[in-house]
Amino acid sequence: MMVISWKEWRVAMDTPLGYVVAVAFLLATGFFFGNHLFLAGQAEMRGYFNVMPLLLMFFIPAMTMRMLSDEQRSGTFELLATMPIRTIDIVLGKFVAVMLQVSVLLALTLFYPATLSLIGNLDSGQLFAGYLALWLLAAVYIAISLYASALTNHAVVAYVIGFGMLFGLFIMTQAMVTFSPASQDFITALSPITHYQLMLRGVIGLDDMGLFLSATAIFLTLTWFQLERRRWR
Amino acid sequence: MIKADQLCRKFGETYAVEALSFHVRKGEVMGLLGPNGAGKSTTMKMLTCFLPPSSGEASIAGVSLQDSLEVRRKVGYLPENAPSYSDLDVRSHLKFVGTMHGLQAATLTDRISEMGRACGLDQVMHRRIDELSKGFRQRVGLAASMLHDPECLIFDEPTTGLDPNQIVEIRHLIRRVGEKKTVLLSSHVLPEVEAVCDRMMIIDQGRLQVIGTSAELARQAEGESVLNVRFKESGESAIRLLMQEFPGLEVKAGDIPFSYTLLHSEPDMPLAEKLFHASVSSESVILEMQSKQTTLEDIFRKLTGGEK
Repeated sequence: MMVISWKEWRVAMDTPLGYVVAVAFLLATGFFFGNHLFLAGQAEMRGYFNVMPLLLMFFIPAMTMRMLSDEQRSGTFELLATMPIRTIDIVLGKFVAVMLQVSVLLALTLFYPATLSLIGNLDSGQLFAGYLALWLLAAVYIAISLYASALTNHAVVAYVIGFGMLFGLFIMTQAMVTFSPASQDFITALSPITHYQLMLRGVIGLDDMGLFLSATAIFLTLTWFQLERRRWR
Repeated sequence: MIKADQLCRKFGETYAVEALSFHVRKGEVMGLLGPNGAGKSTTMKMLTCFLPPSSGEASIAGVSLQDSLEVRRKVGYLPENAPSYSDLDVRSHLKFVGTMHGLQAATLTDRISEMGRACGLDQVMHRRIDELSKGFRQRVGLAASMLHDPECLIFDEPTTGLDPNQIVEIRHLIRRVGEKKTVLLSSHVLPEVEAVCDRMMIIDQGRLQVIGTSAELARQAEGESVLNVRFKESGESAIRLLMQEFPGLEVKAGDIPFSYTLLHSEPDMPLAEKLFHASVSSESVILEMQSKQTTLEDIFRKLTGGEK
């Protein structure tokens, strides 16, 4: 499994796409962070954290779109699937690879709170909870986008499907107030984005963590299932 | 070594492979022949545990396909079109494949240089795969399939897209490998199979039509005597004489003037000899005469419905 992650990591480091994504990501986060700091004049991370679910929605499908769709289109999936590894290892290997890339990107943004701590007081507990929530939310996003990549042979289609699913999730959470109270409760309980917002307050709840982890697990399982299904059909 | 027993694979309601049973012995090079869509690739995909069979059983080196991880360790597989990771360089690709097969770093380096040499990849080791020609990619695929030194090799159309020199090289390579290992290769290039394989089988519409050495196949397919002849001038009188002697004789006029094809439904008829005597007595002059040998191509066309 780690061999696959390592290979994907190498590919990301070797190809321009990886760097384009990284630079664009840092520019975008920097913009929203700076916006809050200089225009609103507030030395806090709220602006950054609030915009992240939306930003990751654009970036993560771009990082995963080729991972399974290209394997299936170019036939290398056949190569991979006839090696002595289980299909679930393929899925996990890819997942870990993107997780690693996202972790690096998020670690780079630690530069922002570091700057802030020079000019103001930062609640380190809240900051930690925020980053943890962000990292877990990214895991859910990656699992969803990987699933999208398994559904098709075309990277662009994979991007559109992945983005669509994430956007649906986002819109549902945003438009929650217009729904009936019962469905509001339902969405609050199940939407990773609401749980993310809850965690931003600085409270690391077990139910929040549980939701992130199980949503990730569910979509990874779906991905695995989809890859297996293609072989049986 | 490779044993298939009533192997079936359905796609929807249609059978891609139906009740296929065969046996490839240890150290044998077996050719799998058939027209496009006959089920060659599907058969190979089943044997390499990529596609699960719908029914039936198969085993490789005594390990049942059910134990798929173990089977994959014993098999080296070159899928059709030799897919490889185009954004890696050759060495990294081979390294990746080798590591996935559980080779240790030291052995891996040795194996990569050994296979690189055997497949003629020395000069391109550091080139990216998407910069390579089709022939080189095919060789990368071959090298990758043999890295973990498997007992059994399965090649799906190993020489497609290669130029004649490369084809000869790859054939030599397969021959050399086949001295120690069991090889199953598919192809629709008939001379190639004849040159490389010890035995061959022909499948059509997912069913096994015939299996054996090329001589055995020729014997099975022989069913008639065929003689091509060309006279200097009209040879009709000679042919008329011959037809009296062989009432079942069928005569077709050829494209060239005064040329004929003579067919008799029974094999081993002394057509040439009798035609000679008939020509002498009717004073017809024969310029060319040739009895036709059954080639693998004839067998193939006959068994796979190319000749109706």
